Amino acid sequence: MPDRVTEAAVLDALRKIEDPDLHRDIVSLGFIKDMKIDGGKVSFTIEMTTPACPVREKFQAEARAHVSQIPGVGSVDVRMTSQVRPSQSEIKNQLIPGVRNVVPVASGKGGVGKSTVSANLAVALAQMGARVGLMDADIYGPSIPMIMGVTEGPEIVDDRRIIPPAQNGVKIISMGFFLQEKEAVIWRGPMLIQMIRQFLGDVEWGDLDYLVVDLPPGTGDIQLSLCQTIPLTGAVIVSTPQDVALKVAQKAIALFQKLNCPVLGIIENMSHYVCRKCGERDDIFGSGGARRAAVDLDVPFLGDIPLATEIRTSADDGRPILLSDPDSPYAKAFLHAAENVAAQISIQNMSGAAPVKITF
Amino acid sequence: MDADLSRTPEEISRANQHDVKIKWRDGHESVYPARSLRLACACAACVHEFTGHTLINPTSVPEGVRPLNILPVGRYAIQITWSDGHATGIYAFDRLRVMCPCPVCKYSPPQVLPH
Repeated sequence: MPDRVTEAAVLDALRKIEDPDLHRDIVSLGFIKDMKIDGGKVSFTIEMTTPACPVREKFQAEARAHVSQIPGVGSVDVRMTSQVRPSQSEIKNQLIPGVRNVVPVASGKGGVGKSTVSANLAVALAQMGARVGLMDADIYGPSIPMIMGVTEGPEIVDDRRIIPPAQNGVKIISMGFFLQEKEAVIWRGPMLIQMIRQFLGDVEWGDLDYLVVDLPPGTGDIQLSLCQTIPLTGAVIVSTPQDVALKVAQKAIALFQKLNCPVLGIIENMSHYVCRKCGERDDIFGSGGARRAAVDLDVPFLGDIPLATEIRTSADDGRPILLSDPDSPYAKAFLHAAENVAAQISIQNMSGAAPVKITF
Repeated sequence: MDADLSRTPEEISRANQHDVKIKWRDGHESVYPARSLRLACACAACVHEFTGHTLINPTSVPEGVRPLNILPVGRYAIQITWSDGHATGIYAFDRLRVMCPCPVCKYSPPQVLPH
């Protein structure tokens, strides 16, 4: 008599697979869905917490291998899907109800390539299948429209609702859409706060897995307003490797920690330069500084992006390197950093802290 | 980087008609008498921004002042609307925990004081 395959036996086999980021087995994490057992035929879905999961194929192969070993199992069909978990927000997010995770990209110092990193992160997450928005909160120097090559501005309906243009699979809003090229924003705090609220509440973001927010440099009104207005999933800090930039990056980290916004980690931008003529590596700003700072500050290191003419020209041309040269090592560096960001977001959202209940 | 459980509220509710109760993630419970919480407001109208001197005049706050509404501020604080019309104060969680008036906290105050 052939062995009868039970659901419990299959789940037991799958329990051997541990998520490397969340440090729990995939059964207790609730990743296994739609299990069907028909004689010796077993099929189920593994639902990951992000489409940007670097261990997707590994999970699928391991699941097949473990389940195949159960006596009586003839064939195993493992489907892979993903469902981005929403941030465990303390407030019911009424401004942007369809947005699951808000991820500010910040730096202490200016000129570290925050906008280029934000744009490429957004494109990378979108390429992996996530629904992504990109909010350019750098109202002083809004550069996202140029980097992303957006040619059409937003559409305003009913006098108030702003429909963001989508480019490269990413919905985009920027102060740049509302300004003439040579016009400058010269605003005091209350106006900035108003703008942040409008960019969140009046823009039709729809359902998004990730809303990446490109912040201006520093620790000022915009950073504070953003942290006060909505619960943020966690901040990504961009820094160049030299000491002076890292010292200022620490201040940005301190701001987020003080406002109880988790820091997802540090990305080191312009980490080194490889000469196009001779191929020699030059650590213009020193190297590995951000990696060491991440260890010192006890925050994750998310990746390093080389200093490369191609990244700069692709940004200036409005075609982020992930689209203009997806096979280049530069595109791969961004992709790798985006996977780490997505993994850290999953860790934040799965770490179990339920929202604070206010019953008043 | 785990959040400090002692400074993360699990539930914020009314202790009674006037007082505010916070249950913290480390299991501790704090009850804040309404009036002293109102007088502890740290907004720019109640505390001088540069000198830190108290500007609020206690006699101007009614004895029976009570919170009408509490809203979260991001993920680090709450904002309280009071029955005397005042609503500009932001009460950060870490400061609230340090302010806990229970006898245990009062006589063994935490090492790190709020900024």
